[in-house]
Amino acid sequence: MLSIKSLHKSFGTLQALKGINLQIKEGELYGLLGPNGAGKTTFINILSTLIKPDNGEVLLDGLNPVTQREECKKIIGVVPQEIALYDDLSALDNLMFWGGLYNIKPIFLKEKINSTLELLGLYNRKNEKIKTFSGGMKRRINIATALLHLPKILFLDEPTVGIDPQSRNLIYEVIKKLNKEGMTIIYTTHYLKEAENLCERISILDRGAIIIEGTLDELRKSTSAEDTITIRLSEPPEQDIINSLRACYNFPISITNSIIIFTVPNASKELASIISKMSETGLDIIQIEINKSNLESIFLKLTGMELRD
Amino acid sequence: MFSICKKDLKLFFGDKRAVMLTFLLPIAMVTLFTFAFSGNGNSEEDVNVGLIHAVSGNSILMLLFSMSAIGAGILEEKEKGTLKKLLISPLPAFHILYGKMLTGFVVSILQLTILFLFAWLVFGLQILPHITSLLIMIITVGFACTSFGILLASVVKSRAQVQGLSTILILLMSALGGSMIPLFVMPEIMQKMAVVTINYWGIQGFYDIFWKQLPIADILMRAGVLLGIGFVISGVSIYFFNKNVLKLI
Repeated sequence: MLSIKSLHKSFGTLQALKGINLQIKEGELYGLLGPNGAGKTTFINILSTLIKPDNGEVLLDGLNPVTQREECKKIIGVVPQEIALYDDLSALDNLMFWGGLYNIKPIFLKEKINSTLELLGLYNRKNEKIKTFSGGMKRRINIATALLHLPKILFLDEPTVGIDPQSRNLIYEVIKKLNKEGMTIIYTTHYLKEAENLCERISILDRGAIIIEGTLDELRKSTSAEDTITIRLSEPPEQDIINSLRACYNFPISITNSIIIFTVPNASKELASIISKMSETGLDIIQIEINKSNLESIFLKLTGMELRD
Repeated sequence: MFSICKKDLKLFFGDKRAVMLTFLLPIAMVTLFTFAFSGNGNSEEDVNVGLIHAVSGNSILMLLFSMSAIGAGILEEKEKGTLKKLLISPLPAFHILYGKMLTGFVVSILQLTILFLFAWLVFGLQILPHITSLLIMIITVGFACTSFGILLASVVKSRAQVQGLSTILILLMSALGGSMIPLFVMPEIMQKMAVVTINYWGIQGFYDIFWKQLPIADILMRAGVLLGIGFVISGVSIYFFNKNVLKLI
């Protein structure tokens, strides 16, 4: 559905994109993750026909956004970072306007608006002006404006920035539903949890380049990111028990008073063996905590820094 | 283009402050200046000239302010992010500009029509015998002033800049073009300099209709100049819109 080869874009001396290569399949929910200034918005702006790349090839469902701009515009929906709505118009008027730009017949447009507002939980507020809406409600209408012409590909550029948990969860549900119905979705975010929970495959973009790409499991494997198992005991273990534990496992074990931390490649696989071994040695376990490696740790490992807000 | 215009008109008429400034303030200004210019007249002709000048001079001055505010709507779209979204839609980029121009044109026709109707109903300005000439002048003055408003928005980078620049330019043009003080009481050099302003051609056209009572053929010359000014300014606006407004996305 999306084929991107060697995509370059510079603004003056700043290299915003440094040779991006990406293939996204039809019906995929793809996460593009990166800190502010990584090049996510430039990337989305190129895909949404707003700016031309300096070099490289982009194909959206076989269409080139540079040479087949008008055709591309019809198959994409873009939810920008900004809440791009007219505050003094009602939700309905906003949607009639934005939908009207796609030459949808008014009767179909009205039906589509009603069903989209139902989906986003705002049908009962459709005649109210946008300026009376909360931030989360505005974000939902912002998304609705990109859905009315039934795009094949939807670009969501940080659609949940600064909103309440209720609206955020609803937006996640809507995105999952649209994806389930077959829509290809490219979701950019700098919230790692969002990408982990929503996306099937993820790219991490940093300083204009994709530093890693794949499913969360693939990312874990390729970065050798590790999980931790933290076990709290009723009292500190004796030295000979510590020695026997260290002899049993070839992964790092750190012991501080009555807390033992095992750093393992896969916590799910090792947990049973660790508990069994500890029971054999007569240790009294009072708490177990598992921390799976996540995108945060993967990002940290790859870039040597935490994801900047 | 029409959808942009329809949306903008809905926003405009939903904004009570904009409606007051566009329609009521010019009426108040015309009333004030009509009394000021014709109050000490010794003859009926003096009173009539005072009325004609007050209506034509003020209507163009106020129209220029209204159109610069409407033109600034382009920059508001840019600041709010709606321009970016419009450019992603299948709407051709220049239709955004044409849509804004159409909005300005509709509002300018309404503003001028309401002012002349007011002058007729309240002060007895004889518009009915010259209705065709008046309509021609209203359309061409409206077009030229709309182009001016769009030009301002295309050359600057923010709404605040539009406000500052428009105030300076409009007051200068209005002082030079005869909106504030009638040109016939100014020195000859000032009268010659006035031809570079929209105000001059508009006011002279309204003088030709109501004061000199010239036939339509003579009015068409003034209207032609205003149309020419409008087209030239529009062309320059399109160039700057492409260079400044679209490039900043």
